Amino acid sequence: MELILQTLVNGILAGGILAVVALGFSLVWGIMNIINLAHGAFVMLGAYLAYVLFSAYHIDPFASVPIAFVVMFAFGYLIQRFVINFVVRAPILTTFLLTFGLSLLIVNVALLVFHGDAKAVTTVYSGSNFSIGPIVVPWVKLWTLIVALGITAAMQLFLGRTREGRAIRAMALDIGAAQLSGVRVARLYAIVFGLGAGLAGAAGVLLSLSYPLNPSMGDPFIIKAFVVCVLGGLGSVEGALVGGIVYGIIEAFGSQFISTGLPDAIALVVLLFVLIVRPTGIMGKATA
Amino acid sequence: MRNFRFFLATLLALSPCLAFVPPSARADDTTIVFGAALAATGRDAREGALTKEGYDFWKDYVNSHGGLKVAGKTYKVDILYADDETNPQTSARLVEKFISQDHVNFILGPYGSATSATTAQVVERLKVPMVESNGAAESIFSHGYKYTFAVLSPARRYLEGVIQMALTLKPTPKSVAVVYANDAFSTEVAQGAANYAFSRRMQVVYNNKYPADTTDVSGIVSAIKASNPDIILNGGHLQDALLLQKGLKEQNVLAKAYAYSVGPDTPDFRKALGSDANYVLGGTQWSATAKYKGAPGFIQTSQEYAKAFAAKYGHEPDYHNAESSAGCLAFQYAIQNAGSLDPAKVRDALAALDVVTFYGLLKFDSRGINVYKPMAVNQIQNGALVTVWPSAVANAKPMYPAPDWSKR
Repeated sequence: MELILQTLVNGILAGGILAVVALGFSLVWGIMNIINLAHGAFVMLGAYLAYVLFSAYHIDPFASVPIAFVVMFAFGYLIQRFVINFVVRAPILTTFLLTFGLSLLIVNVALLVFHGDAKAVTTVYSGSNFSIGPIVVPWVKLWTLIVALGITAAMQLFLGRTREGRAIRAMALDIGAAQLSGVRVARLYAIVFGLGAGLAGAAGVLLSLSYPLNPSMGDPFIIKAFVVCVLGGLGSVEGALVGGIVYGIIEAFGSQFISTGLPDAIALVVLLFVLIVRPTGIMGKATA
Repeated sequence: MRNFRFFLATLLALSPCLAFVPPSARADDTTIVFGAALAATGRDAREGALTKEGYDFWKDYVNSHGGLKVAGKTYKVDILYADDETNPQTSARLVEKFISQDHVNFILGPYGSATSATTAQVVERLKVPMVESNGAAESIFSHGYKYTFAVLSPARRYLEGVIQMALTLKPTPKSVAVVYANDAFSTEVAQGAANYAFSRRMQVVYNNKYPADTTDVSGIVSAIKASNPDIILNGGHLQDALLLQKGLKEQNVLAKAYAYSVGPDTPDFRKALGSDANYVLGGTQWSATAKYKGAPGFIQTSQEYAKAFAAKYGHEPDYHNAESSAGCLAFQYAIQNAGSLDPAKVRDALAALDVVTFYGLLKFDSRGINVYKPMAVNQIQNGALVTVWPSAVANAKPMYPAPDWSKR
């Protein structure tokens, strides 16, 4: 019983961070129809930003979250405006290739700058925890989850309440109609891609607290983000959150009680099942 | 130093371009030539560079000390290099070329178990002895090869020393948890450790693997905690070692000892974890603090090796450097014992080799693997790496049991 409860807590805590990783990926995919293979590289950049700020300027990683968001937003905005925008209407394979190339480029530049050795952000409170009965909850992961919830709520507000947010949603629904109503698509695309990169950067900062850094650390997260998006429902903010937490719980229970060697496989089987029962994902809405 | 390393890597990366220039060194009356296919590009490029440093260090030492005396005649030594691109097939092809076209006298091994396995086939067919320093998987030596020798202790022995040591300490540990990455090397490490613990009547309370690219080990940590082991043993790599050690603290898992096959030896591990790295144990092929007293003919102690190496390359030698120099050294003694450059005679001399060096005992079993050299055990104590086992080579006492996380 204790093990079951502990596993549940582990799963929820791991899911919070997956949700933030997947959120940016989901927005870009859902709204722009770009499967951004450089997303993992953006996550990695966020983590290294946190590392540099922490080791050189002693800035607490939680304080780096907004910094990373802004820096990576600008980076993403520029990349969309001056790189991806040229092929944004091309078939999906073109953007696929482009973002893959971008990912290779970023990872290898990071390899030159930071070298391949593993680094970690170890704060004074790293690893500290509290207990509820027999259940141990690490503070860092709990705060990570809380920040993840905050980021998700902020995204939801932005998309629901602001003019830009509404325009973005309109664009996702019907790009032609949105354009006719005066939505400047190129600018909004850049904003969406910037948001995706910013969220990836923020996720990277949160990851740096519990996950060792190296230039290719983002790779395993792309496939996870992919599954979380489809699981939760594409392009939906609350879908990424629910998908992330569901994925975290499945992975935790799968590796605990079925096979420690196959957590990804188990998650993919569940994904298959969800797609059969609910093809639009858990929170997804049926579209035309 | 970083820039220097980068420069070296660039140089190495460019070295295949030079392969088309006729090699300057050829086996002749005054030079003994070795061939070595090493990764200068690809996944193992960094380890390949470390191996090359170890080989070159030996070469320059021997040449600057008058060369090798074989049956009254003095020879210089030289090493031909080529980039195998971390590809086992390329490695085999290059070694074949070394032997049949460049007519090298002997082969020094590539980096890694997979490349060592393919080159072992080639040297066996062409009957030229190879000493390899960087392939610890025992599967290489299960084919009855006569011409391949490894100076390494095999993978399954990486963590045996930790168990041996812990059993001499109070309170006596009674149980182990074994957790490992799902790859050949880590699996051999973990199963070797589990079998050894079992043979010493310890209980193996947890024995499980995880995917090599795992991003979350909290589930494994919970299960380990529930099994309440005295010793936690990990077969894996730096990345997962860091993840696991962080995870163990997060869930406040208290064992008497924590040991990793890969990780504690690297400065990265200590830097990344700070005080949480203290008390961690690790198996190591060689340590700069080991107290061996080697035979004459080369640097005789680990300390002198470390000092001379650091002076030459600007960084401390890690065990990849040392084991690579030791591979060359096996050839040096075997050639001198054989009193000849004849491949078959040198092979027999290698098979009969029994010599203590700065790196430890060099002696091969009938398969060609160095099962006689014990793995040393290192421990991180107050942020510094010290050797704690076997006691004959130790420079510090083991700190055991590990206290509460907040007191490390």
